Amino acid sequence: MTKRITHHTILGLVEDDKVPFNWNGQTLYGSSRDSLTSALLANDVRILRRHEKDGKPRGLYCNIGHCSECRVTVDGRRNQRACMTPLEENMTVESQDMLPYLTEGGKRDV
Amino acid sequence: MFDTIIIGSGPAGLSAAGILKDGQNVLIIDEYYHPGGRLLGQLYEEEKDVWWNGQEIADSLFGDVKEAVAFRPSTSVINIEKDAHFTIHTTRGTFESYNVIVATGAREKSFPLPGWDLPGVMTVGAAQVLTNFQRVAPGDRGVIIGMNPLSLVIALELGYADIEVAKICLPPDNPLNEQSPVDAFETLLALGGLAPSKFIASASRLGAKLPLSHKAAVKLFPKSGVNAMGLPISIREKVTRINGREQVESVTVHEVDSKGRILPKKSRTIPCDFVCISDGLAPLSEICSLLNMKHVYIESLGGYVPLHDNRMRTEIENLYVAGNITGIENAKVAMLQGELAASQIIGDEANSRTTLEKINHERYYAKVKFHPELTRGKEQLESLWLEYMK
Repeated sequence: MTKRITHHTILGLVEDDKVPFNWNGQTLYGSSRDSLTSALLANDVRILRRHEKDGKPRGLYCNIGHCSECRVTVDGRRNQRACMTPLEENMTVESQDMLPYLTEGGKRDV
Repeated sequence: MFDTIIIGSGPAGLSAAGILKDGQNVLIIDEYYHPGGRLLGQLYEEEKDVWWNGQEIADSLFGDVKEAVAFRPSTSVINIEKDAHFTIHTTRGTFESYNVIVATGAREKSFPLPGWDLPGVMTVGAAQVLTNFQRVAPGDRGVIIGMNPLSLVIALELGYADIEVAKICLPPDNPLNEQSPVDAFETLLALGGLAPSKFIASASRLGAKLPLSHKAAVKLFPKSGVNAMGLPISIREKVTRINGREQVESVTVHEVDSKGRILPKKSRTIPCDFVCISDGLAPLSEICSLLNMKHVYIESLGGYVPLHDNRMRTEIENLYVAGNITGIENAKVAMLQGELAASQIIGDEANSRTTLEKINHERYYAKVKFHPELTRGKEQLESLWLEYMK
């Protein structure tokens, strides 16, 4: 199980305030210091999406916006990098399983 | 119109803003949602009981400037143009300025290996930000693949948060990565300056006692590794694959000979629920590339850097660089470089000179040296600059 580090030997205490958000229809709670990747990880959600071609599970990778592996749909906006998105109360976050950009002619399975 | 736009709110960008804030109209742009850049998450013991706490430093640098400058977080620069002034296009509007400081930092390098796309595999930097900034454990038990100053420092940081690091191993061979046990051994020895009181007791002593080549020392290095600084380091084992169905469950490691060649029959499995991949850092210079600026490849600086002089000037007038975009070094150097770039903008030559001296001093005495040939790399850069600008 993943866990929140509320007490740290050197960095001290942080409050684990409960910020509600919605992940694929389910209500979860994060903290006000969270990005979407950390809020989901704290809830033991590691699979953020399925690969568009082979359905294999994918999660966060770089956590600082460079790799785009963690793209999710946030309040209806597609392809948002979960690691760059600060958690806000009552956000609706959904996983994606389609190609991030439609290719010409709408073919998805390329 | 801003006097100066600073791209990047890390140690370099915030320090530059600290110099410019009183006399200039300044805008800082950052892609992340919180100022500080990769200061956020840094945590190491500089000397006994003296801690470098990156987030505290970030908060203090930002606290100094936040009332006096404009700050736009969660804003990505997508293009930059230069005519009489600079026009910077972002995901949240277009901004103009007379001067620009590009302080975009670095990116982490990775090497591919089977299973690296499983959830639970991440860069060491990802684990650092999760652990120390967002305060969420990346998992219960991790394996780190790749041995360099960054990966070893972050391994220690995971320990401070009571997260178990089961093993630190070398990556498998591939055309992109040729780190051998000898290279790894040299990395360990070079880190002797870090936390001197308790550093790598066994590994360091092993090297010091032996008037032999490092290659010979590697042969004597125990196969299953040593426990140095509390870190389980194996330089004679390589991770050959990461296993798991829906997420990381284990890694497979193979023993190697002293040249780094895998012994196919000698393998074992190490259970873990996360894996960190680390192949060091490389300067992040897309913005300078957008302006078609001259870049030079210097291995000891971490890769391609925009051509610049030791006063942070570039071939484009009024465009300066600072921080890890100029080469991989520590945050203290980055802060000084930001101050230097800002001093150049306001034409403060006296402060430029003292700041330059401080940079040289910090570079020389740095506890963590990212590359042993750094000084030579900087000299090479300076001569390329002089040649190019002739």
